[in-house]
Amino acid sequence: MSHPPRVYHFAAAFGAGGLLSLMVLFNGTLATYGSLFFSSWVPHLTGSVTALILLAFLRPKRATATRPPLWAYLGGISGGLTVMLTSATLNSALALSGTIALGLAGQVVFSLYADIRGLFGMPRKMPGARDYLSLSLIVAGSLVIIFFGGAS
Amino acid sequence: MIGFAALAVLAGVLVVVSRQINGRLALSTSAMESSFWNHLVGLVFITLAALAVGGLFAGEPAASPWWAFLGGPVGVIFIAAGSWLIARIGAAQTAMLIIAGQMISGVVLDIVLGAPGNPLARSIGVALILAGMWITRPGRTRT
Repeated sequence: MSHPPRVYHFAAAFGAGGLLSLMVLFNGTLATYGSLFFSSWVPHLTGSVTALILLAFLRPKRATATRPPLWAYLGGISGGLTVMLTSATLNSALALSGTIALGLAGQVVFSLYADIRGLFGMPRKMPGARDYLSLSLIVAGSLVIIFFGGAS
Repeated sequence: MIGFAALAVLAGVLVVVSRQINGRLALSTSAMESSFWNHLVGLVFITLAALAVGGLFAGEPAASPWWAFLGGPVGVIFIAAGSWLIARIGAAQTAMLIIAGQMISGVVLDIVLGAPGNPLARSIGVALILAGMWITRPGRTRT
């Protein structure tokens, strides 16, 4: 059932992960000078302006004429909550490595569940044995880097 | 401690929830419009939270280096990419490949920035991640 990603999907997702590293570096640097609120507030503000400018220039076509459900506009709240939870756990005994590792676990398990159930109106997708093996290897490698890769 | 651990797991769950919701909005609109609403709604939410708690401009925010302010534009592309991908390859593969990209580029950034670290552990970790990506590599099976 599960389709392997195409090369360009592969590249886009891997590249997005690289962008995420840059975001962590940029926003994390803001947090060392200003408050944690500030480090999340600034990228949301400049991001809103950037997206507006890009929309004005690119004018992407709407995929469908029907209106999306209202809740579909609320993804940003979930994102904002993530920032707050993360800043709370960063300052606990979990520290950075524990926060990242547990967040990873939450992402992996819940993304599988989201695919299987087709949560929030997205297409359902049954993960195959290959997906589970691949996920396990990536999680294992990530945990090695998180817990043993840094300065000890 | 258990409480904080649960919060850290919940943060990971919420990453998937927002990608799922943004993906649904992109299905009806476009990945870029979805990214715009994600940022605007998030901005309103964080502003309200900061007003309630206070301390938005605490510290020395003006002393930040200029490049630290570039997270927003990067985030717009990142969120749009997530919404575009999740409808095409699903939540699990999107999360998995983004994590792989984040971990490997994080190691590269650490090396470039001269952050101290264990070369052996970094190599083993990167090798395991690459092996995981190799297994789902494109073009293995019929489409």
